[in-house]
Amino acid sequence: MKKNDVILAAALIGIALAAFGGAALYSQLTTKEPEAVVRLDGEEKGRYPLSEDTTVEIRQEDGSYNILRVESGKARILKASCPDKVCVSHRPISRQGESLICLPNRLAVEIENGAESGIDASVLSR
Amino acid sequence: MKRIRYAKVLAAAALVLAGLAFILCKSRGPVRYEGQFYDCFDTVTTVTGYAESQEDFSRKVGLLKEKLTWYHRLFDIYHSYDGIHNLKTVNDAAGKEAVEVDAQIMDLLLFAKEMYGKTEGKLNVAYGSVLSLWHQYREEGQKDPAHAKLPPKAELEARAAHTRIEDVVLNEKASTVYLADAQMSLDVGSVGKGYAVQKLAEYAREIGLEHALVSVGGNVCAIGGKADGTPWKVGVENPRPDSGGTYITAVDLASGSIVTSGDYQRYYEVGDARYCHIIDPGTHMPPDYFASVSVQAEDSGIADALSTSLFNMGFEEGLSLVEGMEHVEAMWIGKEGETRYSSGFKVNEEK
Ligand SMILES: [Zn+2]
Repeated sequence: MKKNDVILAAALIGIALAAFGGAALYSQLTTKEPEAVVRLDGEEKGRYPLSEDTTVEIRQEDGSYNILRVESGKARILKASCPDKVCVSHRPISRQGESLICLPNRLAVEIENGAESGIDASVLSR
Repeated sequence: MKRIRYAKVLAAAALVLAGLAFILCKSRGPVRYEGQFYDCFDTVTTVTGYAESQEDFSRKVGLLKEKLTWYHRLFDIYHSYDGIHNLKTVNDAAGKEAVEVDAQIMDLLLFAKEMYGKTEGKLNVAYGSVLSLWHQYREEGQKDPAHAKLPPKAELEARAAHTRIEDVVLNEKASTVYLADAQMSLDVGSVGKGYAVQKLAEYAREIGLEHALVSVGGNVCAIGGKADGTPWKVGVENPRPDSGGTYITAVDLASGSIVTSGDYQRYYEVGDARYCHIIDPGTHMPPDYFASVSVQAEDSGIADALSTSLFNMGFEEGLSLVEGMEHVEAMWIGKEGETRYSSGFKVNEEK
């Protein structure tokens, strides 16, 4: 190869590396912050970043409801129409994979992009 | 000559790009998905696994739901369904006639009878008459907490006279079940879910889920490890989360099941006292030994049956039962949070 070819090849490799690095950097920068994901009957209904304090009422057509509170980086159910109140008595959640479940209302609130607990599922008595 | 040079340069560039693309793809690996569904065994089922696409994964989760719904209907004691004889059919015919049942019901009841023997009656699927009384008082107590009551002792005793496992008459050849006592009823709440989860895991493999974690309301079963070959990490919940962390410990699961029975999820309050949904066939009352017991076993049905049984007996008795069985380990969490393990229970150090 001639000198020019070497320069051209080097430039191409440089461009490719820069593109690759840029893509990696971009994906790092856009890594999402922890959020509480609300699902009704398995279907996503909303996402709420844990960094913003907020209160959300999740009301369904039949009048059943759960009130989700996000505060100080944690999510919990403040109030609910369900008879068992298991969701209300559950401790606040903040870590990856943790969830609040309301069986009567088919509601699940799960933490995504949260601090890695390394836990894939929890065994519990239900 | 110029053309050849450019061809060389282009080839080099293409190689570099191909290499980068390869590295990018490799670092991503198969995509992990999670799916959820309700309506089976009165709980939420979560499936974690890998698939080519979201559509492919959703389709597989749909198949699992169909399968689990089938078991739910077979083992249901509260509802009837068109075209199937389920446990309600069997209960409704108590003292009257034998009911022809699906092979899965026969299989479950044979297994349950075997477990009755192994646990010296701590696991009794013929205990329905007592459990239904507790169920009734619990429902009323949850609806109207100020007037929550305990079932009267005399009525519990009277009903307990109709819980003999010998009165569950199985005819394997004819595939029929006959309850010989008109006042008895079956309740497979302590074993049916685990049995169904085991069958579900086998079915998951059939439909191409080679690496998946299924949790049916906290009854967790692993189908292979993760896609990268490492085991799933399953947290054992702290039954008293007000003191201490979310998890007591974590276990590695690449196959088999872990199931917990505890006093902290389903209960009702009478006055200041909590009464959980597990009832000890020895006393007809909720047991008072532990906050929770977790059992790890290859078979999810065995894990389910044993976790209920161990919750209903003291530590020494439970430990000797576990140590006498192969591929079964257990962890007991006491009322004050103290933990005890069977000899082969492997705790994941990092949790
Ligand atoms: Zn609820």
